[in-house]
Amino acid sequence: MTSAPENSPAKGKVYPSAQAALEGIADGASVLVAGFAGCGIPEKLLRGLAETGVTGLTLICQGAWVPKEEVYGVADLVSNGQVKKMVSPLPFHPEHGGPVKEMWESGKLELEVVPQGVLAERLRAGGAGIGGVFLPTGAGTRFFEGKELRPFDGKEHVLEFALKADFALLRAKTADTLGNLEYQGTGRNWNPTMAMAGAVVVAEVDQVLEPGGVDPEVVITQAIFIDRLVLSA
Amino acid sequence: MPGTPLELDSVARRAAQELFSGAVVALGPGLPCRLPSGLTNGSGVWLVSDSGFLGFQGPDTDAADQECQPVMMLPGGAYTGVVDIAGILRGGHTDVAFLQPAEVAANGDFVHWTTGATQGLFAPGPAVDMAYGASKVVAVMSHQRPDGKSNIVERCSLPVDGAGQVDLIITDVAVMNAGPDGLELVETAPGWTAEEIEAITDAPLAVSSAVKEMTFQVPTLEMPNKVYSSAVDALKDVPEGATINVDGFAGPGGMAHYLMVGLRDLGVKRLQLISNTAGVARVSAFGAPNVIDHSILVENNQVAKATASYPVSPSASRPSAFEEAYNRGETELEVVPQGTLAEMLRCGGAGVAAFYTPTGAGTLLAEGKEARTIDGKEYILETGLRADYCIIRGHKADTLGNVVYKGTSRNFNPVMATTARITVVEVDEIVEPGQLGPEEIVTPGIYIDRIVLRPADFSAYL
Repeated sequence: MTSAPENSPAKGKVYPSAQAALEGIADGASVLVAGFAGCGIPEKLLRGLAETGVTGLTLICQGAWVPKEEVYGVADLVSNGQVKKMVSPLPFHPEHGGPVKEMWESGKLELEVVPQGVLAERLRAGGAGIGGVFLPTGAGTRFFEGKELRPFDGKEHVLEFALKADFALLRAKTADTLGNLEYQGTGRNWNPTMAMAGAVVVAEVDQVLEPGGVDPEVVITQAIFIDRLVLSA
Repeated sequence: MPGTPLELDSVARRAAQELFSGAVVALGPGLPCRLPSGLTNGSGVWLVSDSGFLGFQGPDTDAADQECQPVMMLPGGAYTGVVDIAGILRGGHTDVAFLQPAEVAANGDFVHWTTGATQGLFAPGPAVDMAYGASKVVAVMSHQRPDGKSNIVERCSLPVDGAGQVDLIITDVAVMNAGPDGLELVETAPGWTAEEIEAITDAPLAVSSAVKEMTFQVPTLEMPNKVYSSAVDALKDVPEGATINVDGFAGPGGMAHYLMVGLRDLGVKRLQLISNTAGVARVSAFGAPNVIDHSILVENNQVAKATASYPVSPSASRPSAFEEAYNRGETELEVVPQGTLAEMLRCGGAGVAAFYTPTGAGTLLAEGKEARTIDGKEYILETGLRADYCIIRGHKADTLGNVVYKGTSRNFNPVMATTARITVVEVDEIVEPGQLGPEEIVTPGIYIDRIVLRPADFSAYL
């Protein structure tokens, strides 16, 4: 979505640290955070985001709950008081609760709960230049309330608008220096969709190879979507 | 005194009886995740997890299902992303969805995962999509809460995540149908009477005249055969007037030549082709005058209509067969820009009814279409597109129907594969499940109905 390539070939896309890779992020930014059930979470970038100290963030993500306590995630940023709002299909685990629940209950955090497929489709629309989509899921529920409805083939549909964000933080297994990405297992999750919907897209990866190191048939996210890379270790 | 409620594994085993060979099965968080362990080998069905698994079992350490328990990919399983899972769920590609609602009403309304502590905030997660898209929605859950309150109610006490969508409820004491006619008790857990179940159910409960005791035998399931002996064999039920997706970017790559010849040999008439071109390989610089393309169907008087973005030849002096037929008034034509065609197909496959696209706004292509300004930009409304059949060209398929492509022959094939009632793939090689890696599969087998091997001596040139 940037109008010109952010980095000259000479400068390259690989940044020395998470904080460097987050240069330009400001208070009030909207940030897409990939990750699902503990897999594919850009932990180093989230730590870097904490270190920047920016506040008033809107985080768009699966949710805050991860099965392993040692994983640094969205909940930690919320605990830090850096987050104003979360847009998520499962903001916290209903039984385990946690910082998101506590901050929400004390009125310090706004939550927008969106069905998973609706969020996915809104981001995909944002990334693919689609203005809005008519979706059938959630007819007759609160997810249709206050929105524009229209029948198609005799079934009620809701108009959902495209969603984009200022930054996207991704986690992949392998990149080449151009930014072509491969994922591992269910670490793929939100990453490819979010890669298309962020203005500045930063990917944290295990390794960076030379161009040609990632097989063109198995590239999942193409380099044109990636602005910055940082090594996870 | 009633019997004791069933162990959760017994509930999962009873739930497995709702599966059938080849079924595509969506599993929600919670109890449904116990299904894989109750299945012999997890084989014979496609288990879909919203975390990005297609075809799995437990356990493994590299990956996690939606309950974050490690699971293991089966040979022939594939990884995919959340947006593709959403398309699978919403687009009607699943046969059965298992959910664990907090509460189900007699009419099939349900409240997904919630607790007393989180009333007012809810976790729809993937449940909204799962419940909408599956042919059958099964709730697996405890009949009562620990405090004795019934989870089966006349009307949900909290805002619902799905309206009237649960078809069957399997609890630790009973199996019940739900729907517009209310609850019907069809099975009772061992040691429980209908009266005892009625007493702990907070909704009117009709008792089926065929009510019986629950059993826990897990069915033995096998994947149905998808490999057909020839193109004609795989396409012989295509009816007159069928809409057919055909890849065909420009040149010969990516086109299902062998299936096209089969379609020609069958002679079925009044076909409506949806394709990037309407057959220009022969007349373009990419092809050769004798290469097989859509023209063989046009010349055989089989094509009534084309929906295409390159319907005509790039050269006025060398018109395509379709162009000539159109000029003679024998065919209809709908011209769609390439990206709009791709998006129409993607929406058709993913259950998106319509979308606002900026391309074509203000041009002839926008005529007669709804225009709308969103955030200061002009868009036009286009609708999703589906077909009866789809013929695609892969490089390799495994016997489950997972497909990989080669180079730019990928083009329209993967998106077209998601949109048809029957999708037939033609490949250079058919391999066993597991021989295509879960990270490299482009079209998952759930989209493929029939596979044919392109004969080694088959030529794409007439």
